[in-house]
Amino acid sequence: MSKTLFEKIWDSHIVVKKENGPSLLYIDRHLVHEVTSPQAFEGLRMNKRKVRRPDLTIATMDHNVPTTDRSLPIIDQTSSIQIKTLEKNCQDFGINLFDIDSPYQGIVHVIAPQLGITLPGTTIVCGDSHTSTQGAFGALAFGIGTSEVEHVFVTQALWLEKLKPFEIRVEGKRKNPFAVTAKDIILSIIKKIGTAGGTGTVIEYTGEGITDLSMEQRMTICNMSVEAGARAGLIAPDEKTFDYLRGRKYTPENFDELVSVWKKDLHTDPSAKFEKSFTLKIDDIAPQVSWGTNPGMTSDVTDTVPDPKEFAKGDLAQQKSAEKALLYMDLKAGIPITEIQIDRVFIGSCTNARLEDLIDASRVVKGKKVSEKVSAMVVPGSQMVKKQAEKIGLDKIFKDANFEWRESGCSMCLGMNPDILSTGERCASTSNRNFEGRQGVGGRTHLVSPVMAAAAAIAGRFVDVREMDLN
Amino acid sequence: MKGNVIKYERDNIDTDVILPGTYLKLHDYDELASHAMEGIDPEFHAKVKDGDFIVSGKNFGCGSSREHAPIALSHSGIKAVLALSFARIFYRNSVDGAFLLPIEIDEEAYKNIANGDELNISIETNEIKNVTKNQTYHMKPFSEIIGKIIAAGGLFKFKP
Repeated sequence: MSKTLFEKIWDSHIVVKKENGPSLLYIDRHLVHEVTSPQAFEGLRMNKRKVRRPDLTIATMDHNVPTTDRSLPIIDQTSSIQIKTLEKNCQDFGINLFDIDSPYQGIVHVIAPQLGITLPGTTIVCGDSHTSTQGAFGALAFGIGTSEVEHVFVTQALWLEKLKPFEIRVEGKRKNPFAVTAKDIILSIIKKIGTAGGTGTVIEYTGEGITDLSMEQRMTICNMSVEAGARAGLIAPDEKTFDYLRGRKYTPENFDELVSVWKKDLHTDPSAKFEKSFTLKIDDIAPQVSWGTNPGMTSDVTDTVPDPKEFAKGDLAQQKSAEKALLYMDLKAGIPITEIQIDRVFIGSCTNARLEDLIDASRVVKGKKVSEKVSAMVVPGSQMVKKQAEKIGLDKIFKDANFEWRESGCSMCLGMNPDILSTGERCASTSNRNFEGRQGVGGRTHLVSPVMAAAAAIAGRFVDVREMDLN
Repeated sequence: MKGNVIKYERDNIDTDVILPGTYLKLHDYDELASHAMEGIDPEFHAKVKDGDFIVSGKNFGCGSSREHAPIALSHSGIKAVLALSFARIFYRNSVDGAFLLPIEIDEEAYKNIANGDELNISIETNEIKNVTKNQTYHMKPFSEIIGKIIAAGGLFKFKP
């Protein structure tokens, strides 16, 4: 029987299947961070249970960690407690932890691929919705809640209802692949299918527009699948996938053997049926800038802030949402996107804080200065990204332009550490969510690519990065 | 299950407004509850009563996997959220920890239920009675697994 890639991975992990009901699915890798795990560990203690497979469980701290000097004590006591709690929990339950001083510390979805923990054809869970990032490697990777974290600790399995396979074909070639990035592709998709367009599905991204992308760019695409409502994103592994994973810290010794199996198995059969499909042509897409309070509220940089009525196309609830969003964002319909002035720039997060993101942004920044009205920061996704970037001098380029160069973590993406916006501040951010208050109470977030964020930092407002002089 | 409605007439109520990220450091459930819905309704904590229901539009609970979101609502007294649709992780989190019932309603129910209405919900008959307006609506029945997890009182008590 022909199957989609998702169905192949799903079927190969079924432990128990109930007729017309849920399946108990085996979990190959369980990633843990400090925010969604404490209650799960507490549950283990209360019931005198152990972690069944500590060898398949890996932890790091990313959400709370300060991105400033790590030799100094953590001032926020509640953050400090949460970080220490994870240390103790990992010690008590025998889990491998990359702590705040580890050279492997970083955002969990950035380090797992870098360490070769993320492998094609596996099931990966984490108490974090952006686990979907790792689907870029052909893994079925998805976020779970804390009760499920505890369930995986105890059983290494989860009861799940089968998701529906959804194909998004990305066709064509971008005219300017430096300026029109993976971020612009995924924002264009969410703009079209909506924030609930993928509910109950696993999106498999296919087509030339996807295979053309590097592994790091594919991660950006899969990362934001959850912003389209999907549980996970998937991309069939190819030579780029295998090249990326070869020789990493935890890459299995029999890697080449595995590659030949993956090559044979891990693709959607030509006659397999998806339950849903959507095609995006990318030949003419422009850099995207979000103007509202969810990632579907996005415009081309060459466009204006839309009129809520036109944006909603007759959907009254949508119109109301857009009106509220413009009020919150303090924007008027009809003003050009390029007239929106910004106060802050954040280059970071599990969406866009990998080495290529920083290289691309540095090309925009090199030899220029951040606008005097703007404060800008770069937060590398992991300590490994930071070291690699420093090795090729990116830190110097950013610092010379008056960017702050920080330690790795989730940082201003969700405002759990001291990196937050003040009320009313407007930020060009490479993160994934522009929800109200996400980056700080009353903060206003515009989602953009790293090159667009870098260009905005220099100009003090949004600019079309395609028009910038990049010597 | 009887209670009064707090209605948010909007789609995409996300987990960052249900419980802003800065409070994910808190472990005390009552303290979490004191910040519920703070992102869009700072009055929520003062007005919510034990047994109340939230009624809202599409894609309720989108965003983060934080179980703190249904916990904060549940410990505020919210027994069920009635929405046109839910984001999946929030939906599962709500029932896995037996925090609250995520109930899918149709457009007719959404349109007719007003802020402050008294509802009587029966998950045995999948009926929602609007006591204030003397109307009855149907809820979408829970799937087999969700129904069983709810009946068991959470994921850890669930026996397939």
